[in-house]
Amino acid sequence: MNPGELLRLALSRLRTNRLRAALTMLGVVIGVASVVALVGVGQGTTSRITNDLASLGTNLLTISPTEQDQDGSTSVSLEDADAVAELPGVAAVAPEVSTGQDVSAGDESTTTAIVGTTPDYLDVRAHTIWQGTGLTDVSVERGLRVAVLGKSTADDLGLDADAIGSEVSIGGIGFTVIGILQPKGGAGFEDPDDMILVPVATVQKYFVGGDSARSVGVSVAGDADMDTTKARITALLRERHELAATDDDDFQIFDQTQLLAAASSISGTLTLLLGGIASISLVVGGIGIMNIMLVSVRERTREIGIRKAVGARGLDILSQFLVEALTLSLLGGLLGVAVGLAVSAGIAQFAGWSFAFYPTTLIAAVLSSVLVGVVFGVWPARQAARLDPIAALRYE
Amino acid sequence: MTAPLITFDRVSRIYQMGATQVPALADVSLEIASGEFVAIVGPSGSGKSTMMHILGCLDRPTHGSYRLDGTAVAELDDDALARLRSRAIGFVFQSYNLLPRTSALENVATPLLYQGIGRSERRRRAGAALERLGLGDRMHHEPTELSGGQQQRVAVARALVTEPALILADEPTGNLDSHSGAEVTTLLRDLHATGRTVVLITHDVDVAATADRQIHLRDGRIAA
Repeated sequence: MNPGELLRLALSRLRTNRLRAALTMLGVVIGVASVVALVGVGQGTTSRITNDLASLGTNLLTISPTEQDQDGSTSVSLEDADAVAELPGVAAVAPEVSTGQDVSAGDESTTTAIVGTTPDYLDVRAHTIWQGTGLTDVSVERGLRVAVLGKSTADDLGLDADAIGSEVSIGGIGFTVIGILQPKGGAGFEDPDDMILVPVATVQKYFVGGDSARSVGVSVAGDADMDTTKARITALLRERHELAATDDDDFQIFDQTQLLAAASSISGTLTLLLGGIASISLVVGGIGIMNIMLVSVRERTREIGIRKAVGARGLDILSQFLVEALTLSLLGGLLGVAVGLAVSAGIAQFAGWSFAFYPTTLIAAVLSSVLVGVVFGVWPARQAARLDPIAALRYE
Repeated sequence: MTAPLITFDRVSRIYQMGATQVPALADVSLEIASGEFVAIVGPSGSGKSTMMHILGCLDRPTHGSYRLDGTAVAELDDDALARLRSRAIGFVFQSYNLLPRTSALENVATPLLYQGIGRSERRRRAGAALERLGLGDRMHHEPTELSGGQQQRVAVARALVTEPALILADEPTGNLDSHSGAEVTTLLRDLHATGRTVVLITHDVDVAATADRQIHLRDGRIAA
């Protein structure tokens, strides 16, 4: 029998029992829809993270201490940062010393990260000034009580463009607002606009003693090689820290590409996980098809006997039932893709998540629904094909 | 003289019921020529259902040989049996055995589907068969919308539509009132008159009397 005849038989059969066909299909619809929606969200998150990280600049190295004492001092010092700045291939260096503090302006208050740093911070971290000015060398040398606000922090405190020159209280100490940063937005895990920049010496004077850095941002010159510069920094810090050849580094140097790789591997795993969980419901949908096909073979035993008596071979019966199962799963798959697209568009709208679709995902979803139809349809179809015509004709 | 359409040579059919062997047919030999109208008669348990299954190529003999239209049936596999049924046999059953929720036309066209004949040709031939049996106005009715007599006539149309060498009718009047029953036996006689080979299987001596020749079965053997 040719495929057209089989399809016609299957469709006319499904039409005679629409409710059952619809309910059976629903299992596959839900399965495919959840695969499409969750994988779409996962892939959207992946591409958003990679875009955000790429926007931070690919010439950024971040030195982080790996050892911290109980008094809070770390294995990377501010002098280390000064020494790194002297290396060839290094364009700018911005050490960061941070502390969390309550901040208030007028009646508004919030808690945010106070980052003690140098004027180079803006270049290294790719920030730009929206209003006022950035930190100056003078303010850093003298440890002045001046603050540059991230946009989110400024908004939290109810400060606008005309707030330049006004006073804010950080940890109970008065600071003068000298600038507000242009918002960067984006970035999944933490808001890069929620912080206050103050001179590093000021943070040391009022909040965090010692000369340890939480991290040091290094901007590599355009014409310098990342790996060479990284190796130079490593050699310099090992020498300054007087590490023996057998000792491990007491710091880590991340570059943006590593972060990118790490982030996309994490969200790639997340996507797989989401897809895997969703596939379970697809399998459950497949079991639903198998169940209904087995019931159908039982109910239609006599029909199978009649068909065999008038000349149907085993293969004819097998293909008839298999095509029925496939029709259910394929229609379910196509509907599922539509529902999945609609649901993830909805999620994107209301939850502000990003989602992305690749044609390959959609094709894979439809193909897996077909696979489900074959896998779960073949056994009932074989049962039907193997029925003995005499017993089948006698079946009541 | 041409070879007979049907040749049974010492055919036995033995069923295995647990440890015991139950012979349903024992050493039956017979010949039916092309164009004959034969009734196989016997009480229930005489082996006539088994006879029908073997004649109809739904089952194979345990021992002995059966030749239908020159083909040795005992050696065929299931698919070859199916092809032989499709080509050579038309069934009429006691309980009509029409496909449920399927129009008379589609029911009659079904054997042609398994011969690989295209849809329009199937419908044309099925329509013609129904017309011949006076069911031209019932083509699009489903079995539940037809009377018993009409259903059996649809079944006869289905048996005819492939122009088979043999029409095998198993108690075709068993579920019908006497009037409809008489109609169906007349129909079978008419088919015989147009040259078809008809084998009628029945326990009813009056129905059997409509055939030209009667073969009586008792306890799995030919009685007379």
